[in-house]
Amino acid sequence: MRVTSFMMFDQLSMSLRRQMDEYAKLNSRMGSGKKIEKPSDDVIGMMKAIDYKVDINENEQFKRNIDEVNFNLEYTNTVMNSVSDSLLKLKELLSNGGNAQSEENMAFYSRQAGEWRDYLLNLSNSMERNRYIYSGHNTDQKSFVYNSMTYHFDYQGDSGEINVYLDKGAEIPMNIQGSKAYSFSLTGEPPTELSDGTPVNYTQSTDPATGINTITVEIGNAGDPEYDTFTLSNTMDLANIMSFAWEYKNIDGSDLNTDPDVNKEMAMHRLSALSKPLDDAQTRILNVQAEIGTRQVFLNSQSTKLDQNNVDLKNSLSKTEDADMDDTIIELLKVQTALQAMRESASRILSQSLLDSLK
Amino acid sequence: MSLFGLFDVGRSAIFASQTALSITGHNIANVNTPGFSRQEAVLSATTPAVIGKGFLGRGVVVSNIRRNYDNFIQSQLIGQYQNYGKSSSLTRTFGQIEQIFNEAKDLGLSTPLMDYFNAWHDVSANPEGQTPRTVLLQKASALVLNAKQMERGILNNLKNTNEEISDIVERVNSIASNIAELNGRIVQSEGGSSESANDLRDRRDTLLNDLANLVEFTSYEDKNGSITVSVGMRNLVSGENANTLSARANENGDKDLYLDGIDITSRVTRGQLGGLISVRGHIESNSLKGLRKLIASITKEINILHASGYGLDGTTGNDFFNPLQLSLRNFSTGANMTASITNLSQVTLNEYSVTFDSASNYHIRNNDTGAEAATGVYVSGNPITFDGIQITITGAVTSTDGFSISPLTDSIKNFGVAVSDYRKIAAAGTGTVLPGDNAIALAIAQLSDESIATLDSSTFMSFYKGLVSDAGSMSRAASDSLEFDDNLLSEINNMRESISGVSLDEEAMNLMRFQRSFEAGARMIKVTDELLQTILNL
Repeated sequence: MRVTSFMMFDQLSMSLRRQMDEYAKLNSRMGSGKKIEKPSDDVIGMMKAIDYKVDINENEQFKRNIDEVNFNLEYTNTVMNSVSDSLLKLKELLSNGGNAQSEENMAFYSRQAGEWRDYLLNLSNSMERNRYIYSGHNTDQKSFVYNSMTYHFDYQGDSGEINVYLDKGAEIPMNIQGSKAYSFSLTGEPPTELSDGTPVNYTQSTDPATGINTITVEIGNAGDPEYDTFTLSNTMDLANIMSFAWEYKNIDGSDLNTDPDVNKEMAMHRLSALSKPLDDAQTRILNVQAEIGTRQVFLNSQSTKLDQNNVDLKNSLSKTEDADMDDTIIELLKVQTALQAMRESASRILSQSLLDSLK
Repeated sequence: MSLFGLFDVGRSAIFASQTALSITGHNIANVNTPGFSRQEAVLSATTPAVIGKGFLGRGVVVSNIRRNYDNFIQSQLIGQYQNYGKSSSLTRTFGQIEQIFNEAKDLGLSTPLMDYFNAWHDVSANPEGQTPRTVLLQKASALVLNAKQMERGILNNLKNTNEEISDIVERVNSIASNIAELNGRIVQSEGGSSESANDLRDRRDTLLNDLANLVEFTSYEDKNGSITVSVGMRNLVSGENANTLSARANENGDKDLYLDGIDITSRVTRGQLGGLISVRGHIESNSLKGLRKLIASITKEINILHASGYGLDGTTGNDFFNPLQLSLRNFSTGANMTASITNLSQVTLNEYSVTFDSASNYHIRNNDTGAEAATGVYVSGNPITFDGIQITITGAVTSTDGFSISPLTDSIKNFGVAVSDYRKIAAAGTGTVLPGDNAIALAIAQLSDESIATLDSSTFMSFYKGLVSDAGSMSRAASDSLEFDDNLLSEINNMRESISGVSLDEEAMNLMRFQRSFEAGARMIKVTDELLQTILNL
């Protein structure tokens, strides 16, 4: 083939251009540390990288959700511990003061029960940030308020669960409703007797909207002079009834009976009859704490799983889009050497001309 | 033969060498001239004289100045310039589009999209809080801003592409008139003789190469040496006349090519113009339409869920994003159309066209599926409902009238956050004001993992990934074919150079060769002179 000087120039300049192009590419890879700098560098790799990034981002969000749930449950658990303590104190009062005789003692127990009642109310209206934690979905309302018409404590929340996602499609509730933490559950309770043989009957009705169970307690037989019935739907009610019972009074402040002896007997009966719902409330608290514990265990294992998953994903992402520095440097040196060699050979070839040799 | 004949032989040798030397000089002078073909003096012996028993040679003449040229390679070169032109414009344009979708540098939509859905997660974890709601509104604004930026980027690119088409058309016209002028001069100088106007032809070939880089054409040379160039089956250059190629904007704002009053846009597939026209079509129907469809489907799905929920203030039926709007185009003379979305959940996000037949029936066709969405007898003012859309056409229609309906055209232009009060963000699923209710927030957060019917049952993210992958693959394919075409072009150029190129070494040799033959011719005359002197001195 006939070779002209233009062909040599053209070839050389093209090769130089290519080498410089490669050089620039490697340089930019060194600078960014990334193998993929635009989608066309590696379309499949880019798609994988987006997948990994989306998954990592999602996992981070799930972890933030877990932290949020954990924080809420932690707080709820702390409150539940105090509730549990309060119920224990009430239980102590009940067992110690169930037979209190002296006026002075009675007043003391009454005051104590009243204080625990107020404390329980405070606990039930615990607020975390701007949320009443026991109000279900109705988080801007106090969970329980005293109703001065009925003399009962009314639940203002609902049975709503505040769910958040911990994983694709996996939800967990972050709240404990007041109906779970402060109410009772005495379904199918057989009629029992107090220690003196008076029959006691507990019947329960449920408000489907709130999940609150209202317990109607009947002491004695209908028609008996000391026959007594009252309702309670939460532990505040319970403490309230206790507090008034030690004063021989109904919750509206009236006497239970006009006959002082009957009145006293009825009050004592009330105190004894409250023992069962109190036991039940304690069991419920235990259950709630167990539930919180279970959720937390699940949260922890989910969190660990997400962490592990993220490590894997980040590894894969790095493998997909990060440049191998050793390789890049070696490549760079290779191109550099080639460039140098080409420049030298070019300077020799291009300077050759017959015209120089003509004398 | 007389002694004086020897003078003539010597003179012919001097003249031929001189001519050859000047050709060599011309070659050396043009060593760097692009498109120059090496020339060569073709020497031949003059007609011999008959003497007695034989023929006696009478010297040399330059019978022809030959241009070293290969027609086949030149036509290959033109074809390859057309491919190269196309690849180079594809690479340039797709390279820019790819940067708009460059997820490797965290440009693009994936981060704002993820952030937006994450913000809904945060609202679901704290539905009564003001902070996560305000953050959600900010993230939504960021999503809107990014989508608008990307659309603007694509639209700017299309605008530049159209401007480039106009620029190239001007260059094509200027080259065409130069070719026409050269045609005239070549015909004139060759004038029926067998001589070829070498340098003029070289210049015309160079212009043809330049033209091939810009636009696809076919050409043939007639017996007079004039070349006819046709683009899109219309003559651009014919003899000494050049037609004007023009770029006119069509109703979409795209530039169409007209030659001789005929639209030849679809016939131009190669050269830079061909590349720009095809890249424009691809970007419009893929990147731009895809992005608009993604945003339209986000608007649709979020709004449907959001409107079903309740805000902290108890209001419901609020749109989260500005409602989807239909953009209409009227291709009729006397009729008007109004359209609105009546059932958002039934909207397919496809584009429709309305046509009429001679019997006054209307036909509504889904452009994306090709199916007929509705048909019936046209009655002016009667509402027609199909796929969640209701249209009302008024006025007289003819069979040439038509309308088009698109929920996509303005989807990004109208994209915006409709909720301004954080309390109106509908996180709750039930009517009574329940600040802790997060059913809708959860449902919307979950939407990011759900397959969306209007996006061919892919998720928002995987549909978007498809757009990125398309931009990346197209850019990759374009740069790969540019590399291939560049290589091939340089190979063909080398072949041309191998035949037509000037080699300085060769020319240096020729220089010496013809110098020597000139010297020998001169010596010949000197010898003849001495011979004459000898005779005169007798």
